[in-house]
Amino acid sequence: MMELEVDENDLKAAGAELFVDGGRRGIRINGWVIETRRHSILNSSTLQEWEQNLDTSHLPEMVFGENTLILKHLSSGTNIHFNAFDALRGWKQEALPPVEVPAAAKWKFRSKPSQQVILDYDYTFTTPYCGSGTMEIDKDPNEGERETSKETSDIHWEDCKDQIDVVALASKEPILFYDEVVLYEDELADNGVSLLTVKVRVMPSSWFLLLQFWLRVDGVLIRLRETRMHCVFGGNTNPIILRESCWRESTFQDLSAKGHPFDSGAYGDPSFISQKLPIIMHKTQKLVISS
Amino acid sequence: MSSSSDLDRQIEQLKRCEPLKESEVKVLCLKAMEILVEESNVQRVDAPVTICGDIHGQFYDMKELFKVGGDCPKTNYLFLGDFVDRGFYSVETFLLLLALKVRYPDRITLIRGNHESRQITQVYGFYDECLRKYGSVNVWRYCTDIFDYLSLSALIENKIFSVHGGLSPAISTLDQIRTIDRKQEVPHDGAMCDLLWSDPEDIVDSWGLSPRGAGYLFGGSVVTSFNHSNNIDYICRAHQLVMEGYKWMFNNQIVTVWSAPNYCYRCGNVAAILELDGNLTKQFRVFEAAPQESRGTPAKKPAPDYFL
Repeated sequence: MMELEVDENDLKAAGAELFVDGGRRGIRINGWVIETRRHSILNSSTLQEWEQNLDTSHLPEMVFGENTLILKHLSSGTNIHFNAFDALRGWKQEALPPVEVPAAAKWKFRSKPSQQVILDYDYTFTTPYCGSGTMEIDKDPNEGERETSKETSDIHWEDCKDQIDVVALASKEPILFYDEVVLYEDELADNGVSLLTVKVRVMPSSWFLLLQFWLRVDGVLIRLRETRMHCVFGGNTNPIILRESCWRESTFQDLSAKGHPFDSGAYGDPSFISQKLPIIMHKTQKLVISS
Repeated sequence: MSSSSDLDRQIEQLKRCEPLKESEVKVLCLKAMEILVEESNVQRVDAPVTICGDIHGQFYDMKELFKVGGDCPKTNYLFLGDFVDRGFYSVETFLLLLALKVRYPDRITLIRGNHESRQITQVYGFYDECLRKYGSVNVWRYCTDIFDYLSLSALIENKIFSVHGGLSPAISTLDQIRTIDRKQEVPHDGAMCDLLWSDPEDIVDSWGLSPRGAGYLFGGSVVTSFNHSNNIDYICRAHQLVMEGYKWMFNNQIVTVWSAPNYCYRCGNVAAILELDGNLTKQFRVFEAAPQESRGTPAKKPAPDYFL
């Protein structure tokens, strides 16, 4: 188990507690339980089940189907979580048209074998997924602890003009818990990379997470879809979570025209180029948690 | 000229995951070129033989493979390409396999994968690794020159056809593979490209085109026709990650063998090699990633990243 080195004094000062339990690890702090689970990619038979359930013939090569990040606000029953299945459901629903690789231009002129079938699913596995959320509601107040008395409903995000406090997040407050979880990845048959990850860091004053979909089609396109969530621990007031979603995208040709490298090797990960990609869509929403 | 004792020392050094000096790499590559130039595009391999899939620079996991399959030359090996890229130790991985090839040319066969390419290695890691470990790109150049000399496929006892990727609509007979001029960078289309890049596809019966607009997919009837025309029992190929280490398709007419366990150091998959005895009886040896303590470097703790 890879353990983040955390100062015990910082934990005590924040009234926080770390836990490790099998594949789960996490932190209890200020009425929240935040945990991650990391496992292997799905085996072939489970992958087939997912293909049936998602009504698709293809899934990413590496589906980390048991990986998850969960943030539970105990007193309200609010549950925000991230998982591969819901993300792939988003991919299936959006169903963007496939992106052609550079060699496609030459292949148009190859003599076609008879009975050639052209597959047309979105092999980039681009998803609009921004996370999953449920609210556990106690139907019977007298039996609050019984599992059977609970039902869930979706949480409600409302559009707003607030912005995540980047200045506060940039300060080097001690990190009490940190993890990064891969949800799925595909190598696009060695034509690039498609990778969905979620990272979380928990400080004494707040938690912050980044869900990132990173796509590079070599020589063609770079696409970045990011969802950030920030929740300041509020003492007695009800927590408010801000969620910022941003879609950035550029062709290699446009990047090159602006003086950036055309070479795919320069874009091994999005950090180098992310802020330079033009914004296609950006919105902010908030979730007000009532107890 | 490298003597056997020089080679033995280099092999022992590489087994410790210590790269050779640049001048030694140059000499090794020249010697390898002399051997590989004599090989056929459809290289004949005798049984018993153990077939290995992608390694992708996972050196310590390749050492685990040799523990499971036995050391070369006692075990006769066939590696189906993609020795480099993605893992941390492509240099040591490829050079060890190459040194074994020079030392025991009849006991190890290396065929080309789609990653044995100048263009691909500049994107997926081998180029950067050579630059980092040697301070120049000379070793990358020596190695990519060798890539052009690797065979395109192998034929075991005239019965089992082995290739990195798969089939091509431009190829129906083994003789057509033999006529390819292979000593070149992997082209973006054509028969040589297909052998290293194509994939079997369950939902296609004949030929399919990938949604990327390039890249052939082949179905069961194509494999049946190819195997029948060439009197082949089955095809053994690599190229695709398989969680269980190997996967049969099309009524056992083609099998994918994958030999990089815990791929990308996080997938948690097992890997496999295919052992064929003197009668071509098959046994898959499944193995896991090398334990942490046998790797040279300590486990990386996740740095507390102040991501924004």
